[in-house]
Amino acid sequence: MKKRGHIWAWVIFAIGIVYFFLPLLATFLFSLKARLGVLSFQAYENVLRDPAFVRSFSYSVLWATLTIIFGILLFVPTAYWVRLRVPQARTAVEFITLLPFVVPAIVYVFGLVRTYSHPPLLIVNSPFLLVAAYTVLSMPYMYRAIDTGLRAIDVRTLTEAAQSLGANWPTILFRIILPNIRVAILNGAFLSFAIVIGEYILAQYLAKPAFGPYMAVQGQNKAYEPAALAIISFGLTWASMGIIDAFGRGRGQGATIAGGH
Amino acid sequence: MRTNKLVTQLLGLLLVGAFVLSACGTAATPTAAPSGGGAAGGTDLAMQYKDLVAACKQEGMLTLIATPRSWANYGDIFDLFEKTSGVKINSLDENAGSADELAAIEANKGNKGPQAPDIVDVGYAYGKTGKDAGDYQPYKVTTWDKIPDKVLGIASKDPDGYWTGGYYGVMAMEVNDAVVKNPPANWSDLLKPEYKNQVALSGDPRSSNQAIQSVYAAALGNGGTLDNAQPGLDFFKKLNDAGNFVPVIAKSGTNAQGATPIALAWDYLAFGDKDTFAGNPAITVVYPNPTIASMYVQAISAYAPHPNCAKLWMELLHSDQGQLAWMKGYAHGVNQADMEARGAIPADLKAKLPASSAYASAVAPTPDQVSAAKDLITKGWDTTVGANVQ
Amino acid sequence: MTQLEAVKRDALKARPAYHKMSWAWLGVMPFFLFAFLFLIYPASTIVIRTFQDSHTQALTLKNIIGLNTPFIKTAYWVSIKISVVTALGGGIFGFFLAYSAVRGGLPSFMRGSLMTFSGVASNFAGVPLAFAFLALLSPAGVLTGWLKDIGLNPYDHGFTLYTFWGLSIVYMFFQFPLMVLIITPAIDGLRREWLEASENLGATSFQYWRYVALPILLPSLLGTMILLFGNAFGAYATAFALTGGQITLVTIVIGAQLRGDILNDPGLGYSMAFGMVIVMALAITGYTILQRRTERWLR
Repeated sequence: MKKRGHIWAWVIFAIGIVYFFLPLLATFLFSLKARLGVLSFQAYENVLRDPAFVRSFSYSVLWATLTIIFGILLFVPTAYWVRLRVPQARTAVEFITLLPFVVPAIVYVFGLVRTYSHPPLLIVNSPFLLVAAYTVLSMPYMYRAIDTGLRAIDVRTLTEAAQSLGANWPTILFRIILPNIRVAILNGAFLSFAIVIGEYILAQYLAKPAFGPYMAVQGQNKAYEPAALAIISFGLTWASMGIIDAFGRGRGQGATIAGGH
Repeated sequence: MRTNKLVTQLLGLLLVGAFVLSACGTAATPTAAPSGGGAAGGTDLAMQYKDLVAACKQEGMLTLIATPRSWANYGDIFDLFEKTSGVKINSLDENAGSADELAAIEANKGNKGPQAPDIVDVGYAYGKTGKDAGDYQPYKVTTWDKIPDKVLGIASKDPDGYWTGGYYGVMAMEVNDAVVKNPPANWSDLLKPEYKNQVALSGDPRSSNQAIQSVYAAALGNGGTLDNAQPGLDFFKKLNDAGNFVPVIAKSGTNAQGATPIALAWDYLAFGDKDTFAGNPAITVVYPNPTIASMYVQAISAYAPHPNCAKLWMELLHSDQGQLAWMKGYAHGVNQADMEARGAIPADLKAKLPASSAYASAVAPTPDQVSAAKDLITKGWDTTVGANVQ
Repeated sequence: MTQLEAVKRDALKARPAYHKMSWAWLGVMPFFLFAFLFLIYPASTIVIRTFQDSHTQALTLKNIIGLNTPFIKTAYWVSIKISVVTALGGGIFGFFLAYSAVRGGLPSFMRGSLMTFSGVASNFAGVPLAFAFLALLSPAGVLTGWLKDIGLNPYDHGFTLYTFWGLSIVYMFFQFPLMVLIITPAIDGLRREWLEASENLGATSFQYWRYVALPILLPSLLGTMILLFGNAFGAYATAFALTGGQITLVTIVIGAQLRGDILNDPGLGYSMAFGMVIVMALAITGYTILQRRTERWLR
């Protein structure tokens, strides 16, 4: 069997590209119409000149990064432990990780405000609450990504081998397991990043100057700027992910033992 | 070890990147200068309300909700407030519905932080709801007596001062001239085959005040009354069956793009789009006859962290400058009749506004009538007009 | 000492297995604590207000009883339908896309681009997505214009985006990428040696898939599809922007009750949200049963 460039792979990829590209093209073409009768980048100028744009985007980038890190620190050990030692907990854990889908964001944010705006738990303004809330929102994706990654490697054997060589738990987790699920974590990180950047309701009602509320304001009564903004934020987010990807793949040599590629 | 180093480097780079970006952003921020026009009277008002201004300065912030700058030219009022008091405005969820606003007040009962709204701008029915729920505190502005008791036949202020009517809008059609060469003139025109796939509502008729009032207005134009909204549903059924109704929620973007070239919307929003688009595309605003008017009321939160700023804001809304700002935004201020009598409206503004004869047929329903119509429309929409998205 | 006496002596000192298990649960405690503090407790208003009258705060079952109307039952049915359809459709094509990128022999930069693009596209939903498809396919859209230029007006043939299937196609924009991102590590885990071994043994492509690859991948595929299901089930902004008052999704109806501009019944909104939690629980149960069966042979 040939291993290079199967026809079916190209066909499928082509279909995918057409499907994804056309709607974005339509948005892009519309965004060029800000000036009557001519195609111009006027809408893009308007967006990029707005200081609130850079401010809110970088704010969201920062919080997205912190959310990813916290998510890794919380979910990798949990998913690992559930697979290895406490499989009975799996159903409960999976149910919890899917709950954010069915809790309406508006109910959630008001619940957070009510719970955490009174002493002694007055953390409604603290950055930690924001990270925690964003982590909850990205939990379904992050956890599922990590779990799938763990499923694809032989966790038990790796652990036993490492233990027999005298490794302790942090070593096992961070030097053996983590590098082997690097792709899964990266993909989960992409998902979390995109979610935080675009998130709107939480940021609004917790009164944070994030990118989501900024986009919503633009969309209120402008026609061409929101389209330009959609394209710009798509591009910027994609570029940010490219950076994360480049770093994640990093030095090339990781302690990749399992998973043949 | 390698992975830890990697993670640290990644974190470091992103943090540095983010800080650099935000530093660039802050450096490029010009000092907030209010635009001219509506802010002109700032210093006089500061003198007039100097006690409130002083108390507000102590409080340091005003938190609004569901108040976009672009809605009925609120932007000028924002600038007026900031110039008069020197205090910054913190604007929460601009897309919030009236129910969200009350929910935000209630969720933030004990919270004095920036998440708690000080003042709300809600649909007419929410004046009573909020008062009954204990969400508001009473305040009568100094020009209270000048505000008419009734506008268009409905009460325009709460006798106890819990809410005050600010402005009202009239239901109109926002027509995209680039797509619709021959604008419709009235309700019956909308059924014509030339408007296939063109007529849209600006909200979901099961939850949006604007959309429900559109159906309600259609009822008036098709043999119904303020007590009988059923003909409105029947009209939309006919519209849908003819293929003229497009279920997309009309917004500025879709209006300009052409997906919703005939949108039923409040006139001030339609005129606002007309100005924003500045001919790209050209917009015609058509008042159907008869049509409906709906008032928006403002109220101060009972738990407002910055009550004096809220009171100052209320005063400004009912000052001549505030009312003029709304009028510039094509909303119909409640004090309009009084200002006209005093000659307080500049001639060029008067010329820009649509002649009151254009919407002379507008009527306003009472909260009970709205409630009954809403029940009918929300329940009947799916069965009559047919949500057959199966 | 005989064997039996030695065993009896040691038995007294042996700790029962029960103790060993309870220490292991400590490992998942941080997660449960986090979930309780930042998800379950703040969201508990859903459960509490389901059983409360929205005006009097008295305990009542009327919100639950209020769920038993044809309108609401339709809402659940349509929501579940669109979630299942887009989970399956998104899952299948997403899997093909991922497999093409990982094992299709394409230039290596395409895999990286697909992953990062999928990251962005997975969250491109709501008004921007609806607008993009409108800009493409509405009567005034770009593609419609091109088709009209070559004499093919789709609207003359009764085409419309504002149907269940139209909406499903739009939903795929974020379902495909989600599948791609999650399933790729699982495809990576399919060792080349297995494919080579099965070829050496004379297996056809079909047999390889039927007996080797799919059984290995099935637990991950199922897991990802339940994620896609949840993703679609909880979504509403896209449907709302595109089909406004035309489509009855549970999330849209909840929004109408809880967030509208016109007085509604919050109690009903909360009980519907509670209903969503139940549906999700049922979905997880079904998924867990399927999982157990597909994983059995992997042990």
